Amino acid sequence: MFGTQARGEVSHEFQPPLMQYWRPSIYTRRANITVKFQDLYGFTVEGNVDDVNVLNEVREKVRQQGRVWWALEANKGANWYLQPQISSLSEGIGVAALKLSALANSITLKKLVRKGIPPVLRPKVWFSVSGAAKKRSTVPETYYNDLIKAVEGKVTPATKQIDHDLPRTFPGHPWFDTEEGCAALRRVLVGYSFRDCHVGYCQGLNYVAALLLLVLKTEEDAFWMLAVLLENVLVNDCYTDNLSGCHVEQRVFKDLLAKKCPRIAAHLEALEFDVSLVATEWFLCLFSKSLPSETTMRVWDVLFYEGAKVLFHVALAIFKMNEEELLMTSQIGDVINILQRSTHHLYDPDDLLTVAFDKIGSMTSTTITKQRKKQEPAVMAELDQRLRRLNSLKMDDKPDSPRE
Amino acid sequence: MATMRGSKNIQAKLVLLGDMGTGKTSLVLRFVKGQFYDFQESTIGAAFFTQILSINEATVKFDIWDTAGQERYHSLAPMYYRGAAAAIVVYDITSMDSFERARKWVEELQRQGNPNLVMVLVANKVDLEANRRVETENGELYAHENGLLYIETSAKTAQNVNELFYEIAKRLAKARPTQTPGMKLQNETRERGIRAFCCSGICLAGNSDVLHIHRMIRQLAAFQ
Repeated sequence: MFGTQARGEVSHEFQPPLMQYWRPSIYTRRANITVKFQDLYGFTVEGNVDDVNVLNEVREKVRQQGRVWWALEANKGANWYLQPQISSLSEGIGVAALKLSALANSITLKKLVRKGIPPVLRPKVWFSVSGAAKKRSTVPETYYNDLIKAVEGKVTPATKQIDHDLPRTFPGHPWFDTEEGCAALRRVLVGYSFRDCHVGYCQGLNYVAALLLLVLKTEEDAFWMLAVLLENVLVNDCYTDNLSGCHVEQRVFKDLLAKKCPRIAAHLEALEFDVSLVATEWFLCLFSKSLPSETTMRVWDVLFYEGAKVLFHVALAIFKMNEEELLMTSQIGDVINILQRSTHHLYDPDDLLTVAFDKIGSMTSTTITKQRKKQEPAVMAELDQRLRRLNSLKMDDKPDSPRE
Repeated sequence: MATMRGSKNIQAKLVLLGDMGTGKTSLVLRFVKGQFYDFQESTIGAAFFTQILSINEATVKFDIWDTAGQERYHSLAPMYYRGAAAAIVVYDITSMDSFERARKWVEELQRQGNPNLVMVLVANKVDLEANRRVETENGELYAHENGLLYIETSAKTAQNVNELFYEIAKRLAKARPTQTPGMKLQNETRERGIRAFCCSGICLAGNSDVLHIHRMIRQLAAFQ
C-alpha cells in the first residue's frame, strides 16, 4: 500500500543534491551543457546550467515561503487556514468578530496560496481548501476501502484502458515504475471509474491522479482530491463522453484570449491557428504534461483554492509571456515550438504566476460562468451535429456497440 | 533547408488517427527522431511534430498531428484532420478492435475529409507476429476496396516506417501539380496507381522493391 512507509520515496522528500551538478567549475564555464537530474518530485529534468540555477533559487524561495507559513502557524494556530469560509458563516450575535477574522484569514490565505504552499503542507492544505475533506466527511469512513474491495478483479472497458495506460504514465519516474506505485495509481483510477461511470476513465486523468498521489502520499486522499476536482472544482463534463465541458472551456478561452491579448489572437487567427490545438492538453492534464513539476504544483495550489478560472489565467499568461515572439511567427509549427519551449522551461513558478495574476487582469468566476453558459448551446449543437453525421455513417455499416 | 534545383517544395499537413495504444506516437517518433520507447506516454489532445523529407521529385515538409486515441477524443479530431493533405490510419495487428476502429476512421475521412487526401492504412506492431489477430489479407482487402495505401510496419524495429512516409511524400509530390487544372487527371491516375499498388501486394516488400514497382506504376500511368 502507498502509505506512510512509502513517504520516504516520494514527493518533496526526493532531495537530490542539485548543487553537485553545477558546482564543478567546468559546468559554470560551459553554460550550454545539458544536465539531467531529478526534480523535487522525482521527475527527470533535462536542462542547462541556467535552469539548474533557477531551480536552486526556487528551492530557496520555497524554504523562505515555508518560514512565512510556520510564523503564521505560530501566530494564529496550526490550523488557522482550516477556519470556516466566510460564506458558510451564519448571521448572529457574536458572529461579526469571527466573520472579520475569517475574512482577514481568507485574504491572507489567498495571497499566501498564490505565493505557493510549502510542499510539506500541501497535502493538508489542498485537502482542506479544495473541499475534499468536506466531501469525504459526508460518507462513511470505510467508503474508499469498501469501494476498492468491491471493484477488485472487475473488468470493464474503463479498467482495460487504465491497464493500458498505467505503464505509459510518467514512464521512467522512480515511483511509478515500481509495482507499488503502479498498483496505487491503478486503485485510484479504477475506484474513480466506478464512482462515476459517466467519466469512467478518460486519458489525461492518469497524469492528474499520478501527481495527486505524489503530493498527497496516501491513495485515499488522492482519490478524494480527484473526486473534488472532477465534481466541484472543474467545469462539469470535462472528461465525460464527448468531452463537452472541455470544448466549452476551449471556446471561452478563445474569447478571453481575444479580449486579453488581442494582438496575439488576431495574429494567430491570420495563421489559422486554433489555440485549442495546444490548450486542450493544458486543460485536460491541468498543465501536468507541459510545465515542470513544481510549477504545476504552484498552479494547482491556486486552482484548488480559487477554482477553475485559474486555468484561464495560466493559459493566457503563457501566451502573454511569449507575445513578441509569437507575433513574429509565420507558421503554425513555430507557434507550437515557442509555446512548448516556453512551458517546458518555466522552472520559476513566480515568473508564470506573476503574469497570470498581475498582468492578465482580474476575471471573476461569475463572468467566466456567464461565458460558459453563452458557449454551451453552440458546443452542444456542434457535437450533436457531429454525432448525427457519424450515425449516418454507421447506417451503411453493421451496428456496433459503443466501445467505452 | 537546401533543396535541389528544379524540385518542388511542399508543405503538407499530415494527421495520424487510430485507436489508443496502436503506436501512432511511436511511428512518428521513429520517423522524426529515430527513437522508440517501450512505454510511450499516452497522448492527450494531440502532439505536433515536423520533419522534412527530400525525395527526387520534391522536398516535403511534414506538419504532423499525432492525435489521442481514446474514443472520447474523437470529438476533437476534426480540428486536427481539417485541411490535412495526408492521413495515416493506424491499427495494431494484435487487436481486432483497433482494426474496426481504423475502418471507422477511414469512413469518416472519406465522408468529411478532402477528396484528394492521401490515405494510408497502417498495420503496426508486426514485430508481434506471434500475437497477430488481424491477418494481412483482411487489411489488404479493406485497403484495396477503399483505394487506400496499405503498409505493415513496426515502430519498434523501424520496419517500413521510413518507407511509409516516403510513400506519402511521393504521392503528395505527384498529386500537387504546379497549376490547379490538371489536378483531376492526375488524381485519376493516382487512384489507379493505388489500386495497382494494392493488388500487387507489395506492401510487405522491401524498400527497393517498392521503388521499383512504383517506377513501373508510373510508367503504366504514363501510358494510360
